[in-house]
Amino acid sequence: MTMTIAAETAAKPARARGALRRQGTLVLRLGALAMFALIMAWFAFTTRGFVSPANIFNVIEQTAVMGVLSFGMAVVLIGGGTDVQTGGIDLSIAANTGLCAAVYATLLAGGSGDLAAAAAAIGTGIAVGLLNAFAVVRLGILPLLATLAVMNIVAGLELTVTENQVIGANSTVTQLIATGRFLGLSVLAWIFILFSALMTWAIHYSRIGLRLYAVGGHPEAARAAGINVGAYVAGTYAFSGFCAGFAAILLVARLSASTTATGQLLLAILAAALLGTVFSRRFVPTAGGTILSTLFIGFLANGFQLSNVSYYWVNGVQGVLILMVVAVTTFAKPQGK
Amino acid sequence: MPLDTQSAIIEMQGISKRFGPVRALEEASLTIHRGRIHGLVGANGAGKSTIIKVLAGILRPDAGTIRIDGQEVTRLTPALVEKLGVHFIHQDRLLVPTATVAEAIFLRHEPRIGPFLNLRAMRRRSAELLKHYFDLDLPADALVQDLTTAQQKIVQITRALAQEAKVLVLDEPTAALVKREVDSLFRVLRRLRDDGISVIFISHYMQEIEEICDEVTVMRNGTDVGVVDPRQSGIDEIVAMMINRDMGEMYPARSVAIGAPVLEVQGLSRDGSFRNVSLTLRAGEIVGLTGLLGSGVKELVQCLFGLDRPDAGRVAIDGQEVALGSPVQAVGRRIALLPEDRRAHGVAMGLSIADNIALASMQRYAKGGLVSAAKEAAIVDGLIRDLSIKTPHRHNLVRNLSGGNQQKVAIAKWLSCQSRIYVLDEPTVAVDVGAKVEIYNLMNRLAAEGAAILLMSSELEELVGMCDRTLVIYRGELIDEFTRAEADTDSLLAAASGAARKTARETA
Repeated sequence: MTMTIAAETAAKPARARGALRRQGTLVLRLGALAMFALIMAWFAFTTRGFVSPANIFNVIEQTAVMGVLSFGMAVVLIGGGTDVQTGGIDLSIAANTGLCAAVYATLLAGGSGDLAAAAAAIGTGIAVGLLNAFAVVRLGILPLLATLAVMNIVAGLELTVTENQVIGANSTVTQLIATGRFLGLSVLAWIFILFSALMTWAIHYSRIGLRLYAVGGHPEAARAAGINVGAYVAGTYAFSGFCAGFAAILLVARLSASTTATGQLLLAILAAALLGTVFSRRFVPTAGGTILSTLFIGFLANGFQLSNVSYYWVNGVQGVLILMVVAVTTFAKPQGK
Repeated sequence: MPLDTQSAIIEMQGISKRFGPVRALEEASLTIHRGRIHGLVGANGAGKSTIIKVLAGILRPDAGTIRIDGQEVTRLTPALVEKLGVHFIHQDRLLVPTATVAEAIFLRHEPRIGPFLNLRAMRRRSAELLKHYFDLDLPADALVQDLTTAQQKIVQITRALAQEAKVLVLDEPTAALVKREVDSLFRVLRRLRDDGISVIFISHYMQEIEEICDEVTVMRNGTDVGVVDPRQSGIDEIVAMMINRDMGEMYPARSVAIGAPVLEVQGLSRDGSFRNVSLTLRAGEIVGLTGLLGSGVKELVQCLFGLDRPDAGRVAIDGQEVALGSPVQAVGRRIALLPEDRRAHGVAMGLSIADNIALASMQRYAKGGLVSAAKEAAIVDGLIRDLSIKTPHRHNLVRNLSGGNQQKVAIAKWLSCQSRIYVLDEPTVAVDVGAKVEIYNLMNRLAAEGAAILLMSSELEELVGMCDRTLVIYRGELIDEFTRAEADTDSLLAAASGAARKTARETA
């Protein structure tokens, strides 16, 4: 609550603080970019094969799956607000992808048509998303807890579908996604580019995106402006479920099988989505930030692999990234809204 | 074409609204004319906010008719009200802090080209609107959170204007503004009025009402008691209309010898809240403290209890200077705070009566490091009897008690601490009349036993009835002090709203 006299005496410091914060966020953005460039340069000079075109395209193709999922997470962060404790988050997205992949691969292996299998995968993803939405919006459970619970439900379901086996799957569509090329780029790369373009429009150049930012920024204000806040928040979880289903199709196509380790993607997805917030002066995910961060994390993991560093370290680095981003953005945000 | 200022844009007639047994509105009427600034005044609980909520479509009235722009509306919803051109500028600025100025203004009314937002048009039009109405060069890309309070208020109004508002409802719009900003807001309002827009202006500040309003509706006890022209009637007449003069025998008489100073405050200041406040509280004395929302009174109380730190000034208890850096220290000095928001801060709803009472003075109940059930039972049952807290058992949850009994539990907690200085923040808010009288009796008893009481209240009758002295805070400064003989609701209200100071009136 701002007080009568508060305005008089605090007006100048407030403005000064605003200016300081603006400069601070600019430094932060440039710093993050510099860090990206530095790490990339280091890998380029020390790791053989890192800058080879084959490797770069390999990473971009790997990143297509991650990119779709990072956008799913980013949208949940935008609509739920980026408050670390109470804001939007979807911890079930990776496990959901695993379940969708299992459904997709099982159906293809069982002889279902491409369309039916894809519809089932995406339908499964959205259903899980709606379960999250119900828990968060209707039951009012903190997203952190609600999606954690759903993550476990979904992981259990995946095990019952796959019996913890790798299920091979092959069809004309998976073949096309995995090996198809168009204008010199692979189909996966094209999917990543088109999906990014679509998301850039939805987030930054559509009414939905603007209203979603308002919902996440200050739900009360959004409601006062006549926006159905609950529907928007529910929509973000449904969308993140859709992303899980879509990513599952790409994943199965790339590996010609469903794998049992999809849940491990969560850390990378979270790191990419949160890192993406650093590139916005509002500390909210942006399309550009999400793309950049996803690519960075993809190249980071790839660099580690090529330098023969154990995969376990990659997890550690992603964890540290999450801690850093959350600490820095929490510190740089204006106090008390 | 000359403006037709006689025709009404809003006519609310015979509006009644009850909440359970409480009648918030009884046959209240409100008529707003085109192109006029209409003040709405009344003491707390007079029904101002209820009638505004009815107009906003938030509350459905039990009876009455509402016409907007000549058209009778039966089922008002917030969306319909906005469609009819009535816009509400909320007291707490409801803007998205992370939105840009342009986004905040056009949210949900975004200009588009095909499927794309027309970001350029949003920026251009918001700059135009701000320039046209406010002569303000605010960058359309600035973030709302980086604006001053006044600028945010302006963005809110601009948002309404962008949607071609016919009526603007401003609820305490100046509460967070400084004089210069108030002046420029008034310039804007006059300009809007001249453009044919009607303004409903709700304020506690009588001077502002007199300065800006063309007509004023005065409310009291849930109904409108008159419409006046403030330039002809003057503040005194309006204040007289606001006050309920028939006060019952609610306030028990008492006679207590007033003792030595217990709490002495010297030159206490907190940046942005209050300045240079000095006061003395003596044993056996009940001192009132009042001020409007935003006057700094709340912050002063927070400082006295150690919840906030003052930037300057000294506090002495029994003549000894003390530092009150935290509530722990305050409790240690046997200061008790009865916070206004009982549910949030006063009692722990999910705990039993016994636990609540023992909460701040566990050491009294301890025996070899454990809480002794026998001791607890003895002390707690004694207090329950003493304060006649109505409950079957001390282990009942506080949640299940009535408001008045919850308040008594909160007081019992401090009695258990054997506190000597009581800071009571709106102790009778939302308790029924019977419980009120019980709380008043309890205050008198505490004072008789030598406690010093600081009663912070916005219920002026309560202050007049209970206090030996009443201090008035206005815009962060202690501007007036009334003895029991001098205090009456009119002069307290006049002082608190800056309409007239006692000292000024005496010299006049």
